[in-house]
Amino acid sequence: MTAEEKKELFNKLRDAVSVTYDPEAARAAAEEVLKKNLDPLEAIDEVSSAIREVGDRFHRGEAFLPQLVIAGDAMKAALTVLETVLSKEQRASMHGERIVFGTVKGDIHDIGKNIVIMMLRSVGFEVSDMGVDVPSSKFVSQAQNESARVMCASSLLTVTMEEIADLIQDVKRMGLRDRFKVVAGGGAVTRDWAEKIGADGYGRDAAEAVKVVSGLMQRP
Amino acid sequence: MAAPRFWEVLDRACNTGPREPVKEFDLRVWKTTSRLAKEHEIRYDPANPVNCDDGLADDLWKAGVELYAEVGSYCMDSERVIRFDEREIKDGLREVRDGVTIGSGSEERTIHCRTLDDKSPPTIIGGIIESDVPEGDMFVKVYQSIAQEPIIDGFYVGPPVQSAEGYKLRITTPLEIHLGRCAAGWAREAIRRAGRPGLHLASACPSAAADIASCDEAQGIRRTDAIVVPTTAELKTDYQSLGKVAFSVDYGCLRNPYSCNVIGGWAGGPEGTAIVAVACSIMSVMVYQNKSGQAYGEFMPMRMQPAIMTDRQATWGNSICSQAIAKNSRIVNIMGITVAAGPGTEMMYYETAENAVATIPSGSCGVGNVRRYKVKSLLGSPLENKFYAEAAYAATRLKRSDANEIVKALLAKYESKITDEGGPLGYPFDEIYDMRTLTPKKEQVEIYDRVKKEVQDLGLEFNYP
Repeated sequence: MTAEEKKELFNKLRDAVSVTYDPEAARAAAEEVLKKNLDPLEAIDEVSSAIREVGDRFHRGEAFLPQLVIAGDAMKAALTVLETVLSKEQRASMHGERIVFGTVKGDIHDIGKNIVIMMLRSVGFEVSDMGVDVPSSKFVSQAQNESARVMCASSLLTVTMEEIADLIQDVKRMGLRDRFKVVAGGGAVTRDWAEKIGADGYGRDAAEAVKVVSGLMQRP
Repeated sequence: MAAPRFWEVLDRACNTGPREPVKEFDLRVWKTTSRLAKEHEIRYDPANPVNCDDGLADDLWKAGVELYAEVGSYCMDSERVIRFDEREIKDGLREVRDGVTIGSGSEERTIHCRTLDDKSPPTIIGGIIESDVPEGDMFVKVYQSIAQEPIIDGFYVGPPVQSAEGYKLRITTPLEIHLGRCAAGWAREAIRRAGRPGLHLASACPSAAADIASCDEAQGIRRTDAIVVPTTAELKTDYQSLGKVAFSVDYGCLRNPYSCNVIGGWAGGPEGTAIVAVACSIMSVMVYQNKSGQAYGEFMPMRMQPAIMTDRQATWGNSICSQAIAKNSRIVNIMGITVAAGPGTEMMYYETAENAVATIPSGSCGVGNVRRYKVKSLLGSPLENKFYAEAAYAATRLKRSDANEIVKALLAKYESKITDEGGPLGYPFDEIYDMRTLTPKKEQVEIYDRVKKEVQDLGLEFNYP
């Protein structure tokens, strides 16, 4: 395969994630990468760069939530194929830290949550989306089951934000406070309130949430 | 033919509608909306935040109808799609009656449909919803202060969000039910003290059970009042909202269905969001029974961060949606806004005036509550309600082309000051008002009058006596 053909194939892979948002095309391009015996790690870098580009476009108001979601699906489709030829060690090093993420009990709003999840995934975190109306006990059990280090809890409503305070109390009561970091966010939550309830971090928006979680992951 | 009865709609929501994962529904909304925006050539025009193209407003309406016929609504609890065919939608829209009568006795008012560039007066449903007013006496004082403004025709009232009987409040708990009843009782006490016992109230408890509990002809929400029914972004409902409708249909009170359609969310950009907002107005007819004079709605494109309706994109969306609905249906549609700046600030007054000027000449039937997008205790006052209302009355004198110029001038005053954190926080009620006399403090009146003069100089002639 010539350098030009390789470039064309990698562009195809990149475009499937960041231009056409097409999981099928991403899967097909990834399969072709393996068929041509190209370096899967190089292809994975291309996919990661493409999803970051979508995230940047979202911040600039040039892409919207649906594009983030489908680009995420396309990324996942490509990675599922590319990972099959990696060694166990390579796969382990490729996967980022785990995070569990949900909208708290009583609250069914999910737009902000979905955006932050996609932005976290775009920088390499493994995020488990627990959906909406998630009770504190589910946050804890899911984080335990998935060996996550960070729980992100979102509340748009003022009348449900206390659920985040409860989550922190539950984690403390169970003697797990050193094991899990809790990040608070959502329309109702303020920085002051997050500090008051003892959250480890507060994300005003998706960009700040990514920064805060990245910072927390660097701590022991 | 008649549109499906509400019980048939509930059957589709709970039992017979096709099941679909929520993500598939969300993506279907986006794909269909994107296609329809192209087909109908719906284009956001940042240079003209107040739309003056009648053909575009009509195209937006058509796109909204087609979207709703293709995707329907989604019930989050049952994971079922509630679908209607085009014939049913036509029948439903035909059943919408012009005019909704609110309030009782000397406070009875009828909210009429308004047309574009209409000179008729708007209806003012004030309020400072979800502003975390403490329970008890302070709650009564806040709403009494709103009710004593003669320009107000009614107001939204949500329960305190901090505590009930001094205890921490949780949604859907027995304490919320108790507080829903208390809040309606305090609001009734407030309007009695203001000498307007028949004034219209719109109850916005978070859960259906609390709103249902608040309904009481003697002490709470009457049949001439309304229950607020939200739509979750985009085109989604749940058993709480459907429960509110089911109860109100039986009890016989009014409903206030609303949607805040998020720009950059599932609908995509400002064009897609405007299409979805129009589809939500149709959803309010088909699912929330916004017909036969039983309801008035609010369908409002909103910026994502901060969650406000007064930036350029949201202004364009609210202007053109109001036009599409007013030109093509008898749906009673009013505006309520979240703003970036807090009470008592110049910026908040600019924002309220901007929204009124953009939407009243666009056919909105009136204006509603004002709140800063981020909640802080007592962060609301009657002054912004009054300013919004006065601007709405003044805006009835404007043609859309004039309104467009004033809106551009107002945006120039504050647009660059909108940050991800909103704008200046402002002042709580007890710093704006004298708590003994329930009148605004001198320095606050000076700010109010100064901004009013500035806005007047931009071409908005205030005319409320």
